[in-house]
Amino acid sequence: MQEPQAPPKKKKKIRVPKVINGVETMVEIEVDEDAGPGWGPNNGHTLLNHRLTRVDGPIKVSGTARYTYDMRVPNMLYGRILLCPHAHARLTKFDSSAASNIPGVKAIIQSPLQEYRFAGAPVAAVAAVTPEIAQDAVRAIVVNYEVLPHVVRAEDAIKPGAPKVVPDEKEENLQQKNKAGDPQKVEAAFNSGDVIVEAEYRTPRIHHACLETHGVVVDYSGGDAATVYASTQGTFTIPGDAADALGLPQSAITAIVQHMGGGFGSKFGIGIEGMLACKLSKETRAPVKLMLTRNDEFVMAGNRSGSWQKLKAAAKKDGTLVAVRATQYRLGGLGGGSQAGQPYVYHADEFYREVFALHTNEDSSIAMRAPGHPQASFAMESLMDELAYKIGMDPVAFRKKNLRDEAYHRQLDRGAREIGWDKRNLTPGANPEPLKRGLGCAVGTWGGGGNSECKVEVRVSRDGSVNVAVGTQDLGTGTRTFTRAIVAEELGLQILDVAEQIGNSNLGSANSSGGSTTAASLSPSVKDAAIKTRLALAEKIAPLFGNPKPDEIFFANGKATAGSKSLSWKQICAALPAAGVTAHGEWRSDLQGRGVHGVCFAEVEVDVETGKVRPIKMVQVQDGGLPLNRLTMESQINGGMIQSLGMAFWEGRVIDAKLGLQLNPGFGDYKLPGSLEIPEMVPIIDDGDKREVVIGIAEACIIPSLGALANAVFNACGVRVRELPITPDKILMALNGRKAA
Amino acid sequence: MKKPPGSKDKRKRSHDPSRRDFLKGVGIAGAGAAVVDKFWIEDETTEAEAQAKTSGAVSGSVPIVLEINGQKRTAQVEPRTTLLTTLRDRLDPALTGPKLVCDMGTCGACTVLLDGKPVYSCLVLAVDAVGKQITTVEGLGSPEQLNSVQAAFVEKDALMCGFCTPGFVTTISAYLKENPSPTLAEVREACKGNFCRCGTYPRVFEAALAAAKNAAGKR
Repeated sequence: MQEPQAPPKKKKKIRVPKVINGVETMVEIEVDEDAGPGWGPNNGHTLLNHRLTRVDGPIKVSGTARYTYDMRVPNMLYGRILLCPHAHARLTKFDSSAASNIPGVKAIIQSPLQEYRFAGAPVAAVAAVTPEIAQDAVRAIVVNYEVLPHVVRAEDAIKPGAPKVVPDEKEENLQQKNKAGDPQKVEAAFNSGDVIVEAEYRTPRIHHACLETHGVVVDYSGGDAATVYASTQGTFTIPGDAADALGLPQSAITAIVQHMGGGFGSKFGIGIEGMLACKLSKETRAPVKLMLTRNDEFVMAGNRSGSWQKLKAAAKKDGTLVAVRATQYRLGGLGGGSQAGQPYVYHADEFYREVFALHTNEDSSIAMRAPGHPQASFAMESLMDELAYKIGMDPVAFRKKNLRDEAYHRQLDRGAREIGWDKRNLTPGANPEPLKRGLGCAVGTWGGGGNSECKVEVRVSRDGSVNVAVGTQDLGTGTRTFTRAIVAEELGLQILDVAEQIGNSNLGSANSSGGSTTAASLSPSVKDAAIKTRLALAEKIAPLFGNPKPDEIFFANGKATAGSKSLSWKQICAALPAAGVTAHGEWRSDLQGRGVHGVCFAEVEVDVETGKVRPIKMVQVQDGGLPLNRLTMESQINGGMIQSLGMAFWEGRVIDAKLGLQLNPGFGDYKLPGSLEIPEMVPIIDDGDKREVVIGIAEACIIPSLGALANAVFNACGVRVRELPITPDKILMALNGRKAA
Repeated sequence: MKKPPGSKDKRKRSHDPSRRDFLKGVGIAGAGAAVVDKFWIEDETTEAEAQAKTSGAVSGSVPIVLEINGQKRTAQVEPRTTLLTTLRDRLDPALTGPKLVCDMGTCGACTVLLDGKPVYSCLVLAVDAVGKQITTVEGLGSPEQLNSVQAAFVEKDALMCGFCTPGFVTTISAYLKENPSPTLAEVREACKGNFCRCGTYPRVFEAALAAAKNAAGKR
């Protein structure tokens, strides 16, 4: 095999995203300057950029796909966690003697903490022979607390003298995180505008609501090795944590992630529940399954941080955005939260922003699909809309005026055509009927570039079977499918001719699926492995064709062809040595890119008598370089729009200020979008993007819809709701306020 | 968290003064019942209650025979064991197609057919399923031989993470028997008891309509 060893390759330095706990930071790495064959034109593929049904579809629709939650190993115990019921409390008594006397209870372990700072903090965990007995045991543990002062509302936490949330008594609840721009210049610039809008926008904390809760099955019965089945977005984030908790070397741990039931940014590392499961397993020397209950998932498994944004902006009558000033509070509970800096994607002549974390006694926020972006986008897009109406300019034209990237202009035109932008209300709310329709739009951006962590192996056997192996995970994004497709296309085969192995930490390394980095990290390594496989194969079978050079043998339609001679895939593979052919792929920066654009247009109907909003239609135009699979990419765009729809109208953590408890920790009260709420949805892949590189789009899809929906509500009924979710009470209050004024 | 069926704790709790204070604090006299259930487990356990729990048998278990996907299967269950837990944790080999997601009858991921009718198996006690024909998603088709709804789900990409998918497939398969040529509005109505988080709804609707159309073509 000719893995080119000769002259040392020229190197160049590039910056790539590295994702830790779902949050990306940019790091510099060195890559080869001389790249090798590219993907070719986006319209020249036989499998990629087509509509490929997912390869794990049949096992998922028939219930035979095994998720972590479905694992059961011999002698397995069931774990369950006892949570602190107070927003801030100190433990004064812990007595598990009654609980441990219940038949079937095998172990009870206590948290080392004595003080708990949010309702839902784990206090203890039990392992028992059935889930029911584990639950009995949790309820039989006697715990007394000294209840301490807490604060859960941002408005209260910011006040002087509010109870201190963070453990370090010197640290204030309000902490400045960053600032940018020039405060003096922005004040001066306000004077140059023709109109000014000043407003506050709020978004609540949102739950990931993964249908498969967080959890693990630790298969360990003593001895020197363990297997951990985990519902995770990072196969390789598991062994290190598990090794620590089990007291084993990291190399003795195998993490398995065959299928996982949703993560959306919340599943990196083994988590508290995983650590507790490992400790229970270590103590009992028996396998332990610990999947969070739905209630526990809501109160202790993280959430998207809320936001409180005070914005002021000025624009000229010609549509120039001259000044934006922002005070942004990230409401991350015990965590720091996240929020993209304003003025988000827009160009303002001058801007100044100050970003703060404002802490409360609530479970820490964690990464959630496009951390910080939907919050910032909702506020900025609402503000842009307010400015557009105030200067009497078409909101699309106003956006174009302040967006410098041509891609947005192309996409805004496309989306406007699809939704029928001309039929919007020139005077919002003017329609005299009680059912009022309106249109809105917004834009969003994301990175989506890859990094160099993926190592892929492709093996072709003498019987013609092909296997591609890498330890990565498929979150439901279609990773398995494109991994197969890249190899099949390169070797001139069909997708079913290739098998993939993923989700195992003993396979080639892979990055965590955060920051939309999977596609752009994995696909170049798969492509590289596939190219090397093709060349190695060609070298081995060259004698069959009279010894042409490896790149003079072409693989297509299940055949190898050189000159006028063609042989079938089976025939050429039969000529391979017993071990077949194996090649290893490394990441290539030239096969991936970074920076995607998306726009959303929405139509809604507002009943001004009830305040109820009915979503009518959503259109999203999204680019992403080379679409690996059009079918699954469209599904992702739909998914982004629907999660955004939930945030716009129904979702939000409701917390009781006095008790500090979440009032809606279940699907009965935390309102997810359901089948009756879904509008007509039009996902559009922007083929105007001619970049021949792979870029991740998962996060990008969730960003612009919030603004589009909120703006559509305004266009429909003429009142603006600046706090999500936009519920009927807020619309009616706003309508009443307008009448009063 | 699900309240174990048959437990007497709820009544006992209602006489607990600390609990009344708790409810007063919440200030939700009208919406009491729902909230009581919600925080019932989170409340502190008194020593008397803990003792009460260990003073006698928490519960016993009995063997039952269930008819699942045309086969007789035996399982050892407690009176409080749900059909869902029985399928997933008490059978060997297990049937894990129906998923445990909310455990309180809100999401539909655990949907199975009981004498042909879709039910949330997390709300059915295993002992109440004795003598009934139970069909799980595994009984509707296999990866090699998908039923028309399953095939349409794959074709239309009506799944992403796939955790809600068995529930949708089961619900829709049952519905199409009842109404072989539904409208879009009827399909939406039929699966309003199933939640998806990835956002597959538009394609679930497409798949249901396509499956109906395919079946009509074959008739």
